Amino acid sequence: MIEVQNVAYTYADGTKAVNDVSMTFPEQGIFAVMGLSGSGKTTLLNCIARFLSPKQGEIILDGQDIQEMKEIDFRQQVGVVFQHLNLFPHMNVLENMMLALERVQGKTKAAAKAESLEMLERLNIAELAQSYPAQVSGGQAQRVAIARGLALKPKFMLLDEPTSALDAATTSDFARWLRELQAFTSFIIVTHDLPFAEQTAEQGVFMESGQVQERGTLAEVLKNIDRC
Amino acid sequence: MHYARIIITLTLAFLTLAGPWPATAEEEFVTALTGKFPPFSYYDKQGNLAGFDVDVSREIAQRINQKSQIIATEWDGILAGLLAEKYDAIIGSMAITPVRQESVDFSTPYYHSGAQLFIHRDNPNKVYSISECNGLRIAVVLGETYQHFLEEKFPDVEVVTLKSGAEIFAMLEQKRITGFVTDRLVGAWQVKEAGRPFVSVGDMLYKERIGIPVRKDRPELLGQINKALAAMEDDGTMQRIHQRYFGLGKTSSSKLGTMEPSVIATKLLKGFAVSLGIAFAAILLGFALAVPCGLLLTFRHGSLKPIHFLIRAFVDFIRGTPVLIQLLFVWLGLGFAPFPAAILTLGICAMAYMAEVVRAGLMSVDPGQDLGAKALGLSPVDRFRFVVWPQAFRIAIPPLMNCVVSLIKDTALVSIISIPELIREAQSIISVTFEPGLYYLIAGLMFFAVTFPLMKLSDRVERSIKAKGFAHD
Ligand SMILES: Nc1ncnc2c1ncn2[C@@H]1O[C@H](COP(=O)(O)OP(=O)(O)OP(=O)(O)O)[C@@H](O)[C@H]1O
Ligand SMILES: [Mg+2]
Repeated sequence: MIEVQNVAYTYADGTKAVNDVSMTFPEQGIFAVMGLSGSGKTTLLNCIARFLSPKQGEIILDGQDIQEMKEIDFRQQVGVVFQHLNLFPHMNVLENMMLALERVQGKTKAAAKAESLEMLERLNIAELAQSYPAQVSGGQAQRVAIARGLALKPKFMLLDEPTSALDAATTSDFARWLRELQAFTSFIIVTHDLPFAEQTAEQGVFMESGQVQERGTLAEVLKNIDRC
Repeated sequence: MHYARIIITLTLAFLTLAGPWPATAEEEFVTALTGKFPPFSYYDKQGNLAGFDVDVSREIAQRINQKSQIIATEWDGILAGLLAEKYDAIIGSMAITPVRQESVDFSTPYYHSGAQLFIHRDNPNKVYSISECNGLRIAVVLGETYQHFLEEKFPDVEVVTLKSGAEIFAMLEQKRITGFVTDRLVGAWQVKEAGRPFVSVGDMLYKERIGIPVRKDRPELLGQINKALAAMEDDGTMQRIHQRYFGLGKTSSSKLGTMEPSVIATKLLKGFAVSLGIAFAAILLGFALAVPCGLLLTFRHGSLKPIHFLIRAFVDFIRGTPVLIQLLFVWLGLGFAPFPAAILTLGICAMAYMAEVVRAGLMSVDPGQDLGAKALGLSPVDRFRFVVWPQAFRIAIPPLMNCVVSLIKDTALVSIISIPELIREAQSIISVTFEPGLYYLIAGLMFFAVTFPLMKLSDRVERSIKAKGFAHD
């Protein structure tokens, strides 16, 4: 469980991107952080992923303040896929996945390879193993980036705008695919794509100007923001 | 990392091969000349040093019971080399002048000669003495006494300074200059032996006494040389050597104008091997230093800022000063032997340019790459080693290739510090065959044969990088 308690973040230029936000991400399922562009979603995600330190408040992972965790422990429990994915262009998909297994988890090359292939197989993208990032489509790249994060078996996966490179048709496919992955980990998806959130998440929040506007089940949240 | 080990091993191997050079060991009498001043010094058919000065050098060495070692070096740095203890003496037809006597001691003169004006026998300008040469182009070898003499006594003559006699003779044959001033004996010998279409006109401009300079702190050596010279004069040895080169009739028709093709080929190939060897060692040294320096150049803020500034200043300084000056500074100023001086200087110079390329390569890697690697839990070292550096390096390959090509070309400069690389070997061939057009063209083509594939390779790498979508922007 991740608890976000009264978190605020202000950029150096004075922009109050996140302003006293609290929310709880459950151990299981898919949680959506929604909001219009500029509402502070990415900033919040960067705080949860420890790339930014909140100026106020705490983020607690299973009873422990994330600021006090060791880098290596934290990274293995919370995975992140950025909006731009940041796949390594000089490595093929398999090598992209194996790198952290070998260098961070200390697995042998053979073990890392076997595990990566197995993960690709289970995610139905085994045919991409030998491809380079520049050779795969936007939707495939999104799946590869998620597979790379999942290979480390984190408790939580944060996804920033996972549908930004997808069209409407592939978005539904992707949503279905993502729902099947709930067995591996729990997801926190940050998105302004409400239909996509509706297709995937059970619960969520809707942010506006750095604050939580609505919270609850997806249906409730969507109903309430429609009303305003 | 085994790269580092390979680089260090190769560099050390090269330095070992290069040294000890020159060996100023007790029992060796090391003397310098240019090898480009026939008949006093030149390369014979077999590509060996020969000439009046060479014979005198060997004779003196024998008489003072030392082994003779002769170094061929450039005239314009020859005195500096003596002062920097690169050799014991210069036996290279140096005139005794008060200015030179301020810095070195001269032996008694071992021959007398004088400055003479030579012109083309067609005499298009109709001049019959130096005083009629106002406004006309008269050539001298850079750094020779004739240059100062003309500039002082005949300020209206347009003095053209060239690197060697061979260039001057070629220029006059093409009538691109009106004439040249050189040693009377040298000029006369050119006309006689090489059948040059030149004639001497007017009186000798002045007479010169030719002596052997040694450093002022070697009076005992000077004494020995003077004693040997006196003995050579007394027993007729000097006369015999003189006869060998200036006797009546042709000395030996094979002495000049020809060199065995196999000797020429060997000299060119050996010279080029030296050029490439120096380039290779310098590139390895330069690259090994460029990676850490380039990385430090990206840290403009934070705790490494002072180091960043130091490297920045050093790199800018190296890039903003002529390589030639750096080379002479390391050789004469810091007193390095020629090969280490060449490798160190060109290596540092390559470092400066490559560090800039490495910095640019690192900066052009999307910062998201490092972030993405951090999100996977990779350590800073692993992030650099596996994610950022491989991409930066691929981006940097084309400009690095350019550095490599420049550096290979820059090895031509090290001829100035008396390293027998391609240009120097070409010059020594030209001083015998008098075919500057042909041999400079061949030397140029040899460089091109190496640099052209590198340039093509760099184009190909550049295209493949673009296709793979590295580098943001
Ligand atoms: N590095 C930064 N420096 C200053 N202000 C920033 C920075 N990054 C974001 N902001 C500002 O903070 C606010 C929130 O930005 P954020 O990127 O968190 O929003 P978002 O909800 O993710 O938007 P989008 O849907 O467009 O991705 C915006 O007003 C933005 O302009
Ligand atoms: Mg965002």
